[in-house]
Amino acid sequence: MGQTAESGQTAPLPTWRPGLTAGIIAGVTTPAISLQRINKRFGKKTAVRDLDLEVPQGSIYGLIGPNGAGKTTSIRIMLDIIGPDSGSVAVFGSKNIEAERGRIGYLPEERGLYAKMTVIEHLVFFGELRGMKRRVAREEALKGLEQIGLAERMNDKVESLSKGMAQKIQFLATILHKPELLVLDEPFSGLDPLNVDLFKGMVLERQRQGATLLFSTHLIEDAERLCEYVCMIAGASKVLDGRIADVKGAAGRNEIAISYEGDGAFLEAPGLVDRVADHGQYVEVRLREGADPQELLRRAVNGGTRLSRFELVEPSLREIFIDKATEAGLSPEDASEDQEVAA
Amino acid sequence: MNPFTPKVLAVMRREFMQRVKTKWFLISTIGLPVLMIGMFVLVGFFITSSQDQEETVSVGVIDPSGAVADFLVEELLADSVLASRVGELDAASEEEVRTELTDSDYDHFFRLPPDVVNGEDNGTARIFARDNVLPATQSALRNGLRRALLRARLSEAGLENVDAESLLQTTSIGVVNVSGSGEARSQELFQGISFAIAFLFYMVLLIYGQMIIRSIIEEKASDIVEVMVSSLRPWELMLGKIVGVGAVGLAQIGVWVLVIMVAAIFGLSTAGAALTDIGIDITALSIPWGTIGLVLTFLVLGYLLYAGMFAGAGATISNETDAQQVALPVTMLIIVPFISVQGVIGSPNAAWAVVMSIVPFFSPLVMPSRLLVTNVPFWQTALSVVLLGAFVLFAAWVAGRIYRVGILMKGQRANLPEVVRWVRHG
Repeated sequence: MGQTAESGQTAPLPTWRPGLTAGIIAGVTTPAISLQRINKRFGKKTAVRDLDLEVPQGSIYGLIGPNGAGKTTSIRIMLDIIGPDSGSVAVFGSKNIEAERGRIGYLPEERGLYAKMTVIEHLVFFGELRGMKRRVAREEALKGLEQIGLAERMNDKVESLSKGMAQKIQFLATILHKPELLVLDEPFSGLDPLNVDLFKGMVLERQRQGATLLFSTHLIEDAERLCEYVCMIAGASKVLDGRIADVKGAAGRNEIAISYEGDGAFLEAPGLVDRVADHGQYVEVRLREGADPQELLRRAVNGGTRLSRFELVEPSLREIFIDKATEAGLSPEDASEDQEVAA
Repeated sequence: MNPFTPKVLAVMRREFMQRVKTKWFLISTIGLPVLMIGMFVLVGFFITSSQDQEETVSVGVIDPSGAVADFLVEELLADSVLASRVGELDAASEEEVRTELTDSDYDHFFRLPPDVVNGEDNGTARIFARDNVLPATQSALRNGLRRALLRARLSEAGLENVDAESLLQTTSIGVVNVSGSGEARSQELFQGISFAIAFLFYMVLLIYGQMIIRSIIEEKASDIVEVMVSSLRPWELMLGKIVGVGAVGLAQIGVWVLVIMVAAIFGLSTAGAALTDIGIDITALSIPWGTIGLVLTFLVLGYLLYAGMFAGAGATISNETDAQQVALPVTMLIIVPFISVQGVIGSPNAAWAVVMSIVPFFSPLVMPSRLLVTNVPFWQTALSVVLLGAFVLFAAWVAGRIYRVGILMKGQRANLPEVVRWVRHG
């Protein structure tokens, strides 16, 4: 949980994101994905409950929540891999998702390759499945292999590749047909560390060219760094969604990051302090509603504690998530006990 | 609507190419006919070489009655067996004969029973052998004795110098069936072809059914299936797989037939003569195109029916060990009609044969057999095709529903109530 308060506060939204504009005009354009009151049960277990979701075109959208919260099921419903029990799904405004398949690139959490095929055969095959002509698929595959430095391995069998190389091929196969909507389920988990940056670069490039990017993760900090929008799911239900900036704004600024030497007794002020999270180098303090930060500062100074940092910060997404989940009567930790239900 | 979308064709091509390129395919397609031809050559070689050996076999004839020995020696010599009479042993006991053989230069002693010509009970002639008795020697002795006995009895009846061979001359028996259109056809040949087709089809169903199941499990095990179903509909994947794997089978049989035809052209004169010898006239082999078309229709529909069921079964499991188990019910449905085929060929118009040739699960194997050996009434054929066609569609629908849910399932094998739920709710 290396996310520091500083970066949470100061990380600027890169200016090149077309998502910014897309967000502004979201009211006018059709959303890339729209879910309405989706419900899905597997036997006795509810996987998704009353889920509404709208992913603006051109945005980077994070679907976050612990393992087993219903992220994968939601994604499978969006892509019409499984049908919902009730509710409606539209992709680029169309309810016939089958017709939109060619515009979607999907990388599931469990992603495999045909071990006995050669790299180039594999890429061309997947290009064809996404509606490309054989010849075009081959050209694009060669270009892509050149880009990721695997051109000389094109005629090797997939089984002879290292894990990291196989991951590169999986990514390339996902974006080969230049999808307008990229759906990535836990894209960075289990990834070769060297590949993480490469893949971020590859998907962000697609997004920069106007594609919408939706990805799920159980690492909230990943989403906080990359996304413009988030939807938080816990225990099959949506807890919160919206633009990250709005979400944080609504949560208010009542978090203080404090670094100090000596006695921490000044933090024991039940009327003032709601919660203290010790991060080692600093503590993150949440004040009670309506409490004045100046009051806490005064206590510290009067108590003789030396402060090297006393900073009002935005709450991290993690804090907001835990708050909202608790408010909704859900325990996110409990939710993570369940395994993701397949199918 | 054309079900063969570009995506289905892509899956078909993949399934086909990946299998055709394997060592297994190469070995079984090229290797099997080569092996079979090699075996024929080898068997031929052994038969010829054992015939070469025959000339060196020497047989001592012991005939207590004294009436047959001369004729027998004559017959045996004519059959290139080095035979002579050993009169001094006529009265010897069996034990003495055995002892004598070890000291003599003879390979065998051939001892006839005392009452061989006129006795009520002819007794048993015995071959005493130091070593193996070659099959060729045995048959030479059997045939020689038959003729010698005939001649001995004829001479006893006062008929000397009669050609025994011409008296024994008979003719072979062949059956000619007349089809509805009045054409003649050889019954044995059609029965043989009928059984060969049933056998080949049965093997193809079992081998390629297993292949479909394995292909489905492989996609699950390598985590690839979810990418697949996000790109195309499950039924497209299933259809591509079934037809692609079927095409591999077709290619394999095609190669086999080609090899057999080439071998037949080279060996036709001998094969044709051999068949004519046992009463089969190879020139009578003309199957009406209508029959060929109908047989092919049943084979194709049958393949689709069983392959669909194998695919549905394969979707309910995720590891090899369960494969045998889920394949068993489908395999049973193939074995039952196959074992009945022999009976069907024998009595193609028995009530049970007619029923089996109409019931969808059995008709793909039973009806082609009947079509080839008998004149099946039009209504039976029509009813059978219509039922089978309808059943293929129904089975494809059921398998598709199971497949759609099943392919994303992992771990435990799905139990029957669960599968029924998939079918009902998709």
